[in-house]
Amino acid sequence: MQLPHTEAAPASEPPRVSVPSPGKRTERGDSGGRRLQRKRNRLAWYLIAPALTFMLLVHVLPTLAGVYVSFLRLNTFTLPQLFGAPWYGLQNYKDLFDSASPINAGFYQAAKNTAFYTSLVVVGTVAGGLGIALLLNRTFPGRRLVRTLMLLPWVVPSFVVATLFQFMLQRDAGIVNKILVDYTHLVHHRPTWLLGSNTMWAMVIPSIWRGLPLPMLFFIAGLQTIPDDLHEAAKMDGAGAFRRFRYITLPLLRPLIGIQILIGVIYAAYQFVIPYIMFGSDPGPRADVLMTLIVRQSFDNNLFGAGAAISMLLTLAMAAIVLLWYRAFRRDFEVATS
Amino acid sequence: MSAFAITPRRKRKLTSVFLTTLTYLILVIMLAPIFWLLVGATQNSTDISNGTYRLLHPTLHAFSAMWKSVDFGHYFANSLIICSAAALLATAFASCAGYALARHTSKPLKVYGVSVLATQVVPGVMFLLPVYLGFVWLKKNTPIQLFDTRLGIVLVYTAFFTPVSIYFMRSFFLALPRDLEEAAMVDGCTPFQAFVRIVIPNAVPGLVATFVYAFLFAWDELLFVSALTQTKAETIPIGIRNFIGNYNSNYDQLMAASVVATIPVVIAFYAVQRWLVRGITAGAVKG
Repeated sequence: MQLPHTEAAPASEPPRVSVPSPGKRTERGDSGGRRLQRKRNRLAWYLIAPALTFMLLVHVLPTLAGVYVSFLRLNTFTLPQLFGAPWYGLQNYKDLFDSASPINAGFYQAAKNTAFYTSLVVVGTVAGGLGIALLLNRTFPGRRLVRTLMLLPWVVPSFVVATLFQFMLQRDAGIVNKILVDYTHLVHHRPTWLLGSNTMWAMVIPSIWRGLPLPMLFFIAGLQTIPDDLHEAAKMDGAGAFRRFRYITLPLLRPLIGIQILIGVIYAAYQFVIPYIMFGSDPGPRADVLMTLIVRQSFDNNLFGAGAAISMLLTLAMAAIVLLWYRAFRRDFEVATS
Repeated sequence: MSAFAITPRRKRKLTSVFLTTLTYLILVIMLAPIFWLLVGATQNSTDISNGTYRLLHPTLHAFSAMWKSVDFGHYFANSLIICSAAALLATAFASCAGYALARHTSKPLKVYGVSVLATQVVPGVMFLLPVYLGFVWLKKNTPIQLFDTRLGIVLVYTAFFTPVSIYFMRSFFLALPRDLEEAAMVDGCTPFQAFVRIVIPNAVPGLVATFVYAFLFAWDELLFVSALTQTKAETIPIGIRNFIGNYNSNYDQLMAASVVATIPVVIAFYAVQRWLVRGITAGAVKG
């Protein structure tokens, strides 16, 4: 039995305060027993095997099958043939961009709505989360309790959030209009939230409300890693609160902001529960997003090939966004992980 | 006059009071919808449809009526069983894979780690459509029944929530000192024994937090369950949707059902909040 290499390990324990430091961590146990190392590597693969097999079978394989389905002519007539439906080539994709095809109807609108909804929700949750985190990073009476309670919207399930806001946004009996029109007289004509032009807002508001606490939680954790003396020193040099935020807080939080933007884009662009519960599978032109369009085309209209093609385009768009994101935040990320 | 002059000290005090007030104002806004959820659940339906809310006269009538309007008990039981089973499986897979990813940095493992993350970029519908077709095919051609069964939903949920759980578990293992296993191996344990006997018992908070995290996600899932079930395996979100479809005016019962659907996750979340928050934000501090 070989003794594993025991080096001065605790010394490399990173200090809690430092924001991701560029120093490289020493690989431990490297020069120790070779055989043990091999044994460990084998263990790593044994440990990964179950998750890997399962994910290949139920996650990766179906995803690839989804790509395949997008090339099939799957509609009401060929549906009983399932995967044996006739090959359709790129026709599903062509139809999506062909204004003469019924599949094209509503596609651009849903894509536009998805982009609009996603931008609003991401900006709202990340900026709002950062603002609240800054407020909660001060010392004030009841801080701990306030922090805990602020998390509550995130724990409420999305389907409850959707029904709840539907309830609150009713035109005549809803509390929102009661407050806006009857109690405060801020607005003179009762706005219709759940029909027509305001439906997008009826969707955005609850999405931001529920999405806020997660980035907030991240930013609070990030703010606590910024050493106080940094701000103290800047204060001594006469930097005001805004300048300190701009030149100390913001740059140090950049990696976190980057991660939150990415999580937010995925959360919003793939959001299905909120539009579906609030407006059903056909939310109307103002609130129809790609997710509801895909589900409607596939399960209501039996156009599985078209549904898969739209899913595919959505995935590609997301891949492009991730690449852009990576280009923008790569440097922060390298510093943060090393 | 000078007594009312704004000295720097007084200005700082004023700013502080203003910011604290602002904080509490935001808290009130954030909690107001939840308050209104409770109000809606405790009013009678005529008052609700007239918009005459009587906050001082709450009634629990809706909480008893909701179980009869739709078969809410059925949905609730399905949700509990499916989400627990899927979260348990996901945690089991994730504890193994997460440990491997936390302790080993070989090239192929890194590739695996990145591909686990990459699955998060693919929308669920991308694999929902073929899974649906596959389940229907299995139903027609084999004795394997996955369409509209709890087992089918559990399988799909496990696959869908395992990647997040892996990274969640990984952050917990990263925080666990290596010396623990090193010491065990000095004492003659194999790496596997060290993992099972030393690492896992020490990672219990992480396991519980991962379970709750996956459970929260599964509890909120609607897309898959709406496509892959018909009657037997439907969960709470479907029940809520059926409420909206069939009893549009009964907002009191709808809100009561929403409260009942929220209570289990709120309890689960706050029971393990400390560990859960640590797991979620571990990435924030360590990158």
